[in-house]
Amino acid sequence: MNTYLLQLKRSPRAIAGLTILLIWIIAAIAGPSLLPYTYTGMDMDNQMVAPGQAGHLLGTDALGRDVFSRIIYGSRSILTIALLTSLLSSIAGIIIGFTAGYFGGIVDTIFLRIMDILMAIPPLVLAMVVLGILGNSTIAGLTIIVSIAFTPATARVARGALLTCKSTEYVDAARIRGESHIYIMFVEILPNTIGPVIVEITARFAYSIMMIASLGFLGVGLQPPTPDWGMMVIENKSLIRAAPWTVLYPSLAIASLVIAISLFSDFVSKVMINED
Amino acid sequence: MKTEPVLEIKELDVAYHTLTETVVALQGVSLGVGKNEALGIIGESGCGKTTLFYAIMDYLPVTASRSGEILFKGEDLVVKTPKQMTKFRGSKIAMVYQNPYSSLNPSLTIGFQLEEVSMFHHGMSRKEARQAAVETLSNLHLGDAAGIVRRYPHQISGGMQQRICIAMALLCKPDLMILDEPTTALDVTTEAVILDIIQELKDKYNMSLIYISHDIGVVNKVSDRVAVMYRGEVVEFGNQNTIYKNPQHPYTRALINCMPRAGVLKENTQLNTIPGYVSRRSAAETGCPFVARCEKKNATCEEKYGMVERQPDHFSACDRAYATDIPDKVLSREKGSIPEGSEPEHKTILKIDNLYKYYGPHGKRIRALDGVDLTLERNSVLGVVGESGCGKSTMGHTVSGLMRPTRGKIIFDGTDISVSWRKRSPETLRDIQLIFQNPGRSLNPSFTIENIIGRPMLKLLGIKSRQERRKLIVDILKKVDLGEEYLYRRPKQLSGGEMQRAAVARAFSIGPNLLVCDEPTSALDASVQASVLNLLVDLQKDSGAAYIFISHDLNVINYLSDYIMVMYLGRICEYGTKTEVASSPRHPYTEALLSAVPDVDPSLKKGEIRLQGAPPNPTRKIKGCPFAGRCHRKVGSVCDTTPPPKVRFFRYAFRLLPHFSGNTELGNKRKGH
Amino acid sequence: MDFLKRFAKRLGFTLLTILAMSILIFFLVEIMPGDVAQTVLGQSATEESVAALRDRMGLDDPMHERYIRWAGGFIRGDLGESLYMRGVQINTIFWRKVGHSVVLALTALLFYVPLSILFGVFAGVKEGKAPDAIISFVGLATMALPEFVSGIILITVFAVGLEILPIASIIPIGENLWQNLDILVLPALSITFVMFGYVSRMQRSSMVSVMKADYIRAAILKGMPRKYVIFRHALKNALLPTITIIGMNMGWLFGGLIVVETLFGFPGLGSLTMSAIKTRDIPLIEACVLFITFIFVFSTFITDMLYAFLNPRIRYKRGDV
Repeated sequence: MNTYLLQLKRSPRAIAGLTILLIWIIAAIAGPSLLPYTYTGMDMDNQMVAPGQAGHLLGTDALGRDVFSRIIYGSRSILTIALLTSLLSSIAGIIIGFTAGYFGGIVDTIFLRIMDILMAIPPLVLAMVVLGILGNSTIAGLTIIVSIAFTPATARVARGALLTCKSTEYVDAARIRGESHIYIMFVEILPNTIGPVIVEITARFAYSIMMIASLGFLGVGLQPPTPDWGMMVIENKSLIRAAPWTVLYPSLAIASLVIAISLFSDFVSKVMINED
Repeated sequence: MKTEPVLEIKELDVAYHTLTETVVALQGVSLGVGKNEALGIIGESGCGKTTLFYAIMDYLPVTASRSGEILFKGEDLVVKTPKQMTKFRGSKIAMVYQNPYSSLNPSLTIGFQLEEVSMFHHGMSRKEARQAAVETLSNLHLGDAAGIVRRYPHQISGGMQQRICIAMALLCKPDLMILDEPTTALDVTTEAVILDIIQELKDKYNMSLIYISHDIGVVNKVSDRVAVMYRGEVVEFGNQNTIYKNPQHPYTRALINCMPRAGVLKENTQLNTIPGYVSRRSAAETGCPFVARCEKKNATCEEKYGMVERQPDHFSACDRAYATDIPDKVLSREKGSIPEGSEPEHKTILKIDNLYKYYGPHGKRIRALDGVDLTLERNSVLGVVGESGCGKSTMGHTVSGLMRPTRGKIIFDGTDISVSWRKRSPETLRDIQLIFQNPGRSLNPSFTIENIIGRPMLKLLGIKSRQERRKLIVDILKKVDLGEEYLYRRPKQLSGGEMQRAAVARAFSIGPNLLVCDEPTSALDASVQASVLNLLVDLQKDSGAAYIFISHDLNVINYLSDYIMVMYLGRICEYGTKTEVASSPRHPYTEALLSAVPDVDPSLKKGEIRLQGAPPNPTRKIKGCPFAGRCHRKVGSVCDTTPPPKVRFFRYAFRLLPHFSGNTELGNKRKGH
Repeated sequence: MDFLKRFAKRLGFTLLTILAMSILIFFLVEIMPGDVAQTVLGQSATEESVAALRDRMGLDDPMHERYIRWAGGFIRGDLGESLYMRGVQINTIFWRKVGHSVVLALTALLFYVPLSILFGVFAGVKEGKAPDAIISFVGLATMALPEFVSGIILITVFAVGLEILPIASIIPIGENLWQNLDILVLPALSITFVMFGYVSRMQRSSMVSVMKADYIRAAILKGMPRKYVIFRHALKNALLPTITIIGMNMGWLFGGLIVVETLFGFPGLGSLTMSAIKTRDIPLIEACVLFITFIFVFSTFITDMLYAFLNPRIRYKRGDV
């Protein structure tokens, strides 16, 4: 554990990423209770005021809603969904990918073919079509569908990680002392794939944020009036000349969060790969 | 043989600098190679052999520093700029590497890779360069040179690839050729052919050679003089016979005594072991690099240390190898556990009957085992030897249950176990244990040694109590010379030798009756190998278990087996007692194999049998003798059509009699039984 | 011979994937909740008119018959009739939009492929040095941004700030795309942002690993100059994985097109898909999604063949001359 901290100290990029991520997490947990405005509160006297005026730190939108408050509220849903999605899709991926890779043969062939077919639809298109058809997305619905859309990719990663360990002699040794398949998969192999699995979860976290923001932007994410960063961008897109802050700040919020996670996940993958 | 030196290294130091420390890789290395002379450099891993070669070529990483002189025909290479060095590389000094396949660019044709050398160094046109390439290849007895240049590296065999690499090094007729373990990745019969070629070319091109290897036997075959390296220093340097017969440095002597070699058998001798391990060297260290592990050390080791010419042309840094003030370790072993022929009970423990194992889809299936029979008795060691792809590992894996045989029977202790592990009873699983080649891969890196050894005890012996298990684990660890503190360590914190000891401990912890050892020492250095071999012999004697010991190294097999089985292309060539097979081989393949094995003792020169070609395609069904195509004693078409007859010679061990043996005997060496 | 065999095998598999995809898409869309005819006609429609429409659309036929009818139409090049725009054959609007999207995708490819390979190789050769650190960081940052975020930033700078490029990619009525090439620039750049990061990082890491290979050491120690080693020995091997990456990401690119086209209002396949979903225009959704899949599967196939052709280890079997 100490070596990780030591390596973290030497990587300013990872520290920057982690700091920004922590700020967002704190903002999502504690932020809303500290804010003077709610995300639906309309300040009719102050529509489209520029940042810093009339007590609105990042200005207001066409309905007089405080942009800053909406961004802070919006961080809750996006962080929650992204975290759940990355965990859910990784767990599902490990179970499916491990089973396919471990048993090999016909099980694996069928798995690979199904994955090839599922991966032929880009995850964004798949999620968009399903969400668009179902309508009225909720946090739970969004989480499940994005997780499903991601599972083929995570299952492939998990399968690959398993295959690097499957042919090692410690697995053979476990077999010829009569261990069960479940024991070999999850007790012998899983701890040795923990590096790639953690790398996958952190990277998946960043992808989830991108995906959820994009779905919000396409209007198939969470429904108004829930504040959603992607939706804020498309709602106010026509105001880009008149009130650019309404578009730019949500965009920058997404950018800062995704870049922060990517910086951190880049560090994680370097540490985890060097370790082996 | 003193001639004008081609390369003279004087006081060469190389150190690697990290943020926290400086590690010495080479320390005061001084060596010389004369014209048309071959210098062999031997040493275990981490002794600086490869660093030396990189230092000569100026191919060190940026974190390294280099000082001293490297005089190549009088010019100091240390002061050359990288640009000036390109004039020497490949043209005046050429290299051959350990792994020929990865040293050839997979996406360029062999011809292209040969041509560019002449084009750059001699300014030839592509056409001239092509001609030069074809010519050089023909010099190496490569049949269809003009066809080979159009191929890609993956299309030819490993031995052929290495010949291409040698041809590449020869193109500019270099003054010096450096070979870094060029035959380590090859089979022993291929190795013999390559070594012959190297010998021949050295004289033909009037070249000097530096031959780097961990294998003293291989170095002996090609070198005139030998340098022994240890922890970045040359500790001894001289004529190969002198080095072997009269080593002066305690390390040299200890190293030679570690190696299984002619005349050394488990019945009479223990292999020497060197205590401790090779540690990193800090800049502050002075004196003898071996002192911490030396058994002959005394108070003078620090001040009296240094290279001195002990005899004409024999230099060593220490002369205490045979010092009498400290007595030698006793290496003799009491009489072997199974005196041949005199033991009252020969109880069969394993019987294999007509065993077949095929891989792959129909039509393209590989016959890994093609009808193997054998019988193994309690308390004996069967050594299985053969080259890669001969099916020896497959045989071991089917016995241990990793795979199910396609056809045939395996009877263990009266039960038919020709099924995979899933269908075997816990008793059988316990009774047959397998030791793998690479301990780093056979011990799960996520577990502690306690968990690794404890799991089979829980699973197969049903010892539920943690305390009880721990007590047993400590006992078995003691037997393999590991202390209690190893309980909590993970494999990564152990050295290679310690890991293999832990693997042996795991196998023995549940009292098996049959141990299958699949190349258990191939990944280890000579001194570490010796300690593991000693351990295996001792444990066998104490437990009475039978061993199937699989190895490609005939020296190792010869050291510890009671019976030897030689395999070729999934079939048994010869199977008999050790003395029979090793000293009077019946099958021409055994004969060829024996003649190809490099000897540690340079004075032993054997008959030279060189096999041409490669083993036939294992997917083809072979009617006659699988070796017929390469056999140097082929009788005629009968070899291609009829398999050689099996003849029993000694109790139940049988041998395959080659077709000619009715009227000829191999080398007139046959001893009757 | 071997290459042809591979070709036939992959082609067969590609067609099979498309078939499976078409079934999947058809049933996915058809199980959508609510009565299609009702949705089309609106809540106020009479029961008789709904029933009449159901009959005309063949909605009461069994599922597999409807699938065969639909897929058969596809093979003949008949994409069916739009539900939302009553009476409009999808063919009449679909191909023009697809054409626009293909032009946009090709423009983006033209931007990001050379750029990311160039910078990736450069970073790989300079591993661990300043240029590598800068390129890797830029790649990481651009890769992380969703297309619409980089699009908004580009709009803010080039359209709102500098006013040199249009905010929206609209083709005025009566003109075609070729008369309005400037509308391609910002959407293509938004895609380039994401793809640059991804491809350049892949290119860098494959270059780094190739430069560490034994055959590169052998080439250097044969006395070949460094530049020659990089271009003749390293580059081809390092490009092979990148080709696969670029091909495999065609699907991602078309997914990205939906976002980019929505942001810029670009009249292409992406915005058509989006509006089809918004209006629940089932035949149009099916046509769009199937086409996107088709592009992905087909580009994977081409990449695979290209890879096999360029890689002598696959092209020539052991023992062949």
